Amino acid sequence: MEYILKNGIVYDPANKVNGEKKDVMFKDGKIVEKVSSDAKVLDVTDKIVMPAGVDPHSHVAGPKLVVGRLYRPEDSRKGVTQKTNLLRGESGFSIPSCPTTGYRYSRLGYGTVVEAAMPPLEAKHTHDEIATIPNIDIPALPLFGNNWFVLEFAREGKIDELAAFISAWLKISKGYGVKIVNPCGSEAWGWGMNVHGINDKAPYFDVTSKEVIRALAKANEKLGLPHSIHIHPNDLGHPGNVPTTLETFESVKDIDKNAAVRNQNLHCCHLQFHSYSGNSWKDASSGAEEVAKYVNKADNITCDVGQVTFDETTTMTADAPMEYDLFKLSGLKWVNKDIECETAAGIIPIIYSPKSPVNTLQWAIGLELFLHIDDPWKVCLTTDHPNAGPFIRYPRIISWLMSNERRMEMIDNEVHKWVHSRTTLPTLDREYDFYDIATITRAAPAKIHGFSDRGELTPGYNADIAVYDINPNDIDPSKEHELIEKKFGLTDYTIKDGEILVKDKEIVKVKESSTIWTNVKGYEEEEKAVIEGIMPFFNQYYSIKWENYPVHDHYLSNPIRVDVEASK
Amino acid sequence: MKTITFKQKKTSSIALEFDELIPDEIYTWGESDFNKYEVPIGNSRFPLTDYFDIKVEGEAESPDEVKMIINGDLNRVKYIGCKMSGGEILCNSSVDLHVGAEMSGGTIIVDGNAAAHAGREMSGGYLEIKGNTKEFTGASYIGEWRGMTGGEIIVHGNAGKQCGECLSGGKITVLGNCDILAGIHMSKGVMEIQGDVNRWPGGQMKNGTIVINGKLGRLLEGFVFDEVVDNPDIEGKVYDGRFIKYTGDIGLNGKGTLLINADVNRDKLGEYGESDDEYTSIREYRNL
Repeated sequence: MEYILKNGIVYDPANKVNGEKKDVMFKDGKIVEKVSSDAKVLDVTDKIVMPAGVDPHSHVAGPKLVVGRLYRPEDSRKGVTQKTNLLRGESGFSIPSCPTTGYRYSRLGYGTVVEAAMPPLEAKHTHDEIATIPNIDIPALPLFGNNWFVLEFAREGKIDELAAFISAWLKISKGYGVKIVNPCGSEAWGWGMNVHGINDKAPYFDVTSKEVIRALAKANEKLGLPHSIHIHPNDLGHPGNVPTTLETFESVKDIDKNAAVRNQNLHCCHLQFHSYSGNSWKDASSGAEEVAKYVNKADNITCDVGQVTFDETTTMTADAPMEYDLFKLSGLKWVNKDIECETAAGIIPIIYSPKSPVNTLQWAIGLELFLHIDDPWKVCLTTDHPNAGPFIRYPRIISWLMSNERRMEMIDNEVHKWVHSRTTLPTLDREYDFYDIATITRAAPAKIHGFSDRGELTPGYNADIAVYDINPNDIDPSKEHELIEKKFGLTDYTIKDGEILVKDKEIVKVKESSTIWTNVKGYEEEEKAVIEGIMPFFNQYYSIKWENYPVHDHYLSNPIRVDVEASK
Repeated sequence: MKTITFKQKKTSSIALEFDELIPDEIYTWGESDFNKYEVPIGNSRFPLTDYFDIKVEGEAESPDEVKMIINGDLNRVKYIGCKMSGGEILCNSSVDLHVGAEMSGGTIIVDGNAAAHAGREMSGGYLEIKGNTKEFTGASYIGEWRGMTGGEIIVHGNAGKQCGECLSGGKITVLGNCDILAGIHMSKGVMEIQGDVNRWPGGQMKNGTIVINGKLGRLLEGFVFDEVVDNPDIEGKVYDGRFIKYTGDIGLNGKGTLLINADVNRDKLGEYGESDDEYTSIREYRNL
C-alpha cells in the first residue's frame, strides 16, 4: 500500500529538515522517495509532520509493573474508559494496564519505547507483557550492574569473559543493551546496606562501583553494541550527589566508543535525580548547572532528564535502598523485592506537590538541565515513567520548554519559593523551538540507542510518523502554551510501520507490538566457555533450572533482531 | 422541589448500578427521559422501565431541590447516591454495595440494611442507615490510604469489620456494636460507638478520636493508659460518665485518643489487662 502525506510541515532533525513544507511518502511500511500515481493521499496541509516518537527510558513492562498494579488498586480506578469494538477498556494513571499503555503512547505519536530495566531472571515475564502492549515497539535493557557474575568478572578484570557473558545474556534474555542500576548498591541492599559514591565496595565482593562501570563500558565497546551502557548512577535522589554523578562520567572518559551509529559511550538516565547539591534536604540546592557544564564539554555523555510533573505517581526502580529511603521520608506503603543473584527492586507511591520545597527543587532541576545543556542531541525528554510522572505528561513538559511565560507564571504563582533561592531557573529564558522538540523526543533518543531503522524520515527507514494539528507559522508557542499542550497530546495521524493507527485523534487500528533485541555474532565459542564456567555456581544458587532460564523464541511476538559483528 | 418516585416492577439477580441516577445528573429529567434511560446491569444496559415505574412531580433548578424516593426490594441495587453532591434520596429497603460512596453533599436515608462500602470515601453530606451495615462502612476503598474526609454517617444497627478505615475527617456514629478493627489507620475525625466492640479498635491510628460506650474486647498493645476522665467533651458533644482514656497507636508515634466507658469496662481499670487471659498471654509472649 502506498501513501503520500501531502503539504505537511516537516521536522526531521536527523536529515536537518527544519520546518520545510514537503511531502512524505511511504510504501509497504518503509519511507520511500517517490510513489506511483495510485498512492493514497493524506492531506496534512500546514500540520506538523515528525518521525514517530522514541522514548529512551520508560518502565512499561515487567514484574515490577505487575506488583505495582496489584498493590496500588487505587491507581487503577483512575482513567477508566469503557471498552469499544476496537479497544479494550482502559484503566490506570501512573501504572496503566498493558493495552492502555500502548493506546496512550500511540495517541501521543510515539512508536518506540525502551523498557529500561529487565532482570534476566524475569525476562520471560517482561516479554510476555511486551506482547500484550499494542502499537509500540519495545526493546528491553537487561540489568547487569549488580549481577554476581558481572561483579566477579569486574573484580578480576576479565573483560573478554565479561564481553562473552554480556553477549550470551543478551541472547538469553532477548535484551537490547546494558543497563546498570546503582552498581553495587542494589547488591548491598541484600545486606540492608547501600553504597555511597563510586568508590564504595559491594559487601563480600571486594569490587567498587567504579570498577563495575568501567568493566561494563569496556565490554560494551568491545562488542560494539548499538547502545552504550545505560546507567542509573549511585546516590540517586540524595542531596549532594553531584560529585558522584561527575565521577561516574569521568570514569569512562578514556574508553573509546566502538559503534558508528552513536556518539556517546555512556548514557545517563533521569539525570535530574542525580543533580542535587548540598549536604541534606535542609541545605539542598540545584547542581544542574555544574552537571550541564560537564555534559556540554564532554562528547561521550548523553542523558535523559526524568522531569518531575507534579502528579501523584508511583516510583519503581531496581535501586531498592533508595526506595527504602523514600519510605522513611513519606511513610506510604512500600514494597520490596530481591531478585536472587541479579538485582533488587522497590516500589512506593509518591505525591509530587508544587507546594513542597523539595519537589519544587526537583521540578526546577529538570527544566534547568533542559535549558543549560546547549546541544539538544545530548538530552532526551523523559519522565522516567512512572517515577517522576506518567508519560502522558510529555505534552505539558513540551509546553514548559517552549514557553518562558508559562514557566515564569508557575514560578511566580504555583511553586515553592525555593525555586528563587536554590535554583537558576528564574534566570533562564531559553525557549525550545519545534526543531529542538523533534530532536529531544525523536532524533536524539533514536541515535543514542543506535536504532538504524527509526527516528528519522530517511528513505528506507520504517514509516513511523506522527502528524500534529499545529501550524507552526500560525502559532506562538510562547504565548499559546495551553494549545501546545493540548495539540501535542493527541495526534492527527500516528503511523507505525506504514499502518495508520491513529486518525483524526482516534485510534483506528490496533497492531501487535515487537521487541528489538541484539544478537552478537563472533563470540559463540567464548560464550560457551563462560556458561560452562559459571554452571556450577548457577546450579547451586539459582532457584530455577538452567533449562528454564533463557527466553525461548516462542515467547517473543514479532521479534526484530539486530545483528552485531563483534570485533575481537 | 421535584419529587421522583421509583416503584419497583421486578428484581434482578444481577445488580443494577444507580451511579448515574443521582440528583446532579437527573434534576432536569422528566418522565420521558427516564423512559429512554438504560441502566447498567452487569456488562450491558437494559431499560430502567423494565425494573421501575417512575413518577416525576414538580420542577427543580438545582440538584438540591431533588427528592428521590425509591420503593421496593433494593437488595440488588448498587451505587445508590454514589458521587452525589446535593439533594435527598430515601430508600425504603435494604441496599447493596457502595451506597453514598464518594458523596460530597446531600442526604441519603436507608430504611434497612446496607451492604459493604457504605459511605466509602465520603467528603460531605449525611448518610443514615436504619439497620446494620457490613464491612468497610465509611472506609477507604481497597489500596487507598485516604478515607472519608467529611460528612456524617449514622448506623442505627451494628457495623461490620473495618468500619471507618483510614478515616481522615467527618464523623461516624454506630449505635449498635462494631466488629474488629474499627477506625484502623484513622488520622482525623471522630468515631462514636454506643455498643460493644469486638477487638482491636484504632489499630495504627495516627490521630482522631474513638469513643466506645459499650464493652471493649481486646485492645491493641500500641495503646497506653493515659487517665480516667469524667464527662469528656469531644468536639462539642459531652459523653456522660467516666471514661478510660488511652493514647495510641504508639507503634507509629500516633497521638490518637481512645475513650472507653469505665463503668462497663471495670476489668480494664486497676491492674490493666490482667483479667483478659488472651491479652495477657500475648503480652507475656512478647516479653520473652
